[in-house]
Amino acid sequence: MDWCFPPSVGLPKIHRGGFSRQSAGDDMGIAVLLKQVPDTTAKISISGDRVDETAVSKWSMSPYDEYALEAALQLKEAGGEDIIAITCGPARAMKMLTDAAAVGADNLILIQDDGVTDSTHIQSLLAAAVKRSGADVVLCGKQAADTNGGSTGPGVSHLIGAACVGMISEVSAEGDGFIALRASPTGNERVEVSRPCLFTFDKGATELRRPNVRGIMMAKKKQIETVTPDDLGVTIGTSSVSLQSHSPPPVKPPGQKFEGADSVPEVVAKLRDEANVI
Amino acid sequence: MAYEALDFYDIDSLLTDEERMVRDMVRDWVDEKILPNIEKACHDGVFPDEWRVDLGEMGILGAPLEGYGCPGLSYIAYGLICQELERGDSGVRSFASVQGSLAMYPIWNFGSEEQKNHYLPKMTTGEWIGCFGLTEPDYGSNPGDMITRAEDKGDHYLLNGAKMWITNGTIADLAVVWAKLDGVIRGFIVEKDDPGFTAPEMTGKHSLKASVTSELVFQDCKIPKDRMLPDAKGLEGPFSCLNNARYGISWGAVGAAQSCFSSAKEYALSRIQFDHPIASFQLVQNKLAWMLREITKAQLLAYHLGKKKDEGTWIPEHISLAKMNNVDIALDIARMARDIHGANGILDEYPVMRHMANLESVKTYEGTHDIHNLILGRYITGIQAFTRES
Repeated sequence: MDWCFPPSVGLPKIHRGGFSRQSAGDDMGIAVLLKQVPDTTAKISISGDRVDETAVSKWSMSPYDEYALEAALQLKEAGGEDIIAITCGPARAMKMLTDAAAVGADNLILIQDDGVTDSTHIQSLLAAAVKRSGADVVLCGKQAADTNGGSTGPGVSHLIGAACVGMISEVSAEGDGFIALRASPTGNERVEVSRPCLFTFDKGATELRRPNVRGIMMAKKKQIETVTPDDLGVTIGTSSVSLQSHSPPPVKPPGQKFEGADSVPEVVAKLRDEANVI
Repeated sequence: MAYEALDFYDIDSLLTDEERMVRDMVRDWVDEKILPNIEKACHDGVFPDEWRVDLGEMGILGAPLEGYGCPGLSYIAYGLICQELERGDSGVRSFASVQGSLAMYPIWNFGSEEQKNHYLPKMTTGEWIGCFGLTEPDYGSNPGDMITRAEDKGDHYLLNGAKMWITNGTIADLAVVWAKLDGVIRGFIVEKDDPGFTAPEMTGKHSLKASVTSELVFQDCKIPKDRMLPDAKGLEGPFSCLNNARYGISWGAVGAAQSCFSSAKEYALSRIQFDHPIASFQLVQNKLAWMLREITKAQLLAYHLGKKKDEGTWIPEHISLAKMNNVDIALDIARMARDIHGANGILDEYPVMRHMANLESVKTYEGTHDIHNLILGRYITGIQAFTRES
């Protein structure tokens, strides 16, 4: 099913404060918010009450952010503006920005977070960087693969006064605005939205591009602009949210093996009473 | 579980950002495209065309060559590419070695401007596949006595003879073929549709099963005059190509060894016997420690050789040592890894037996283990021991 909402009944065209698009045709830029997370295949170990970051063998771009970056690249290729990749994190996140440059991101901004973990603070920093960049369309993943918080997109959109269209799989330019596609329980929704706007991306059917040598050689020439909260005019106050501890998932009990037809009643009982699957 | 490459001496810190990025790009591609599909490719005896396309799109074919659309990466980066490809499978690395070092390199180094402009841009993108015809059925370690002949017929050359053990032969769009013209070894570019040229595939291999291996047959094969490489005369031509391919193999073998080590370590930690992981037993630890030791030495050998290649201070004997040593230890590591895996080691669920079978070929091609020893023996003593003649 494909529901095509006419603009009047789709997402309301929200025009709030925070941006004033200068004029049609101005090169405002597409901001993509990226987060470096432990690779989803990396082994995670807990030391004390925290994930031991030094033991993480591989750091990667959060997978949903990869879809956001791919969508931004496609918008750019379709005649869109330059891409500004923004991340908030430690110095190691510079590699992820360079990886983004290798597939086509034009400007790279690292916000030194100095260990900030409060999601509202991170949203403030990202929002300030977006405003500073002049971008009036922002793309990011629907949630980060490490915290799975899902608050960055909506939080940043609120702070910059942009419409937030969440959990989409595709976006394309339509006039001065955009058409986004997202799955719903009863089909697909096509949502029209005008600038300023922010999209959060779910995993879509889009195939992600991989870098190539030419992109890598171009990427090494790109400067990463490093900014501090002070540079962005953001004062990091007291955290309203703090992470208390990490703990590993409970150890899975060993599997049980049953042999022969005589064990069927016992297996059925376990499936019903212990596993609760029948 | 994410692949954790053994890097005991922190070779990673010696690499440039660009080299690390290229390595990671290829590593991710191998994880995504090769490892889930390699057993089927081996079973079917094919090199999937999708891999050719991807290698071209990544831009890693002819990696260290500059100009004509080629990437112009460092030799260290080229080595890292080979290492990662061979962690997947020696057949995949063989494809890239042959394309870059054996087919593109002679055109790049010995070809005319017209030849370079015509072939190299399409070869670096993988659009055209190349192969390299030197070895003959009766002349392997002794290519200087090759039988294949070229005759100057005025407005064309006529090739007659046969080559054997040619990687990529059947799927190649062009072959760089070495043949004697008036008694002198010269290089010729033969295109797949040239009259009198056929490239039947060799079947029945227990090794490099995901790599195409072929014969090249020239029966009054007529090629235009402008297909001879103008600047290659004598064995130096093909040997210079082999030096680059052998260099890549010295890194590639490290990748195969890493794959076997990684699998053996994981298996040893998870396999319980006598109520304990077998990794807790001294004999198994001794094997793992030996693997770590040999891989670390091989990495340092390959890295230092790469620096010498980039600086231009290498000699062929340096490459012989690295190729011989690194393939030798990789093969021993594959065998030892199979041993640690017990009976499970023979299954295609684990990569070790495949690497072991592949490395038997790698030990033999591009100069056998023994020939490299003789090259070093000549270097040490000044006395060649290849033939009985002085």
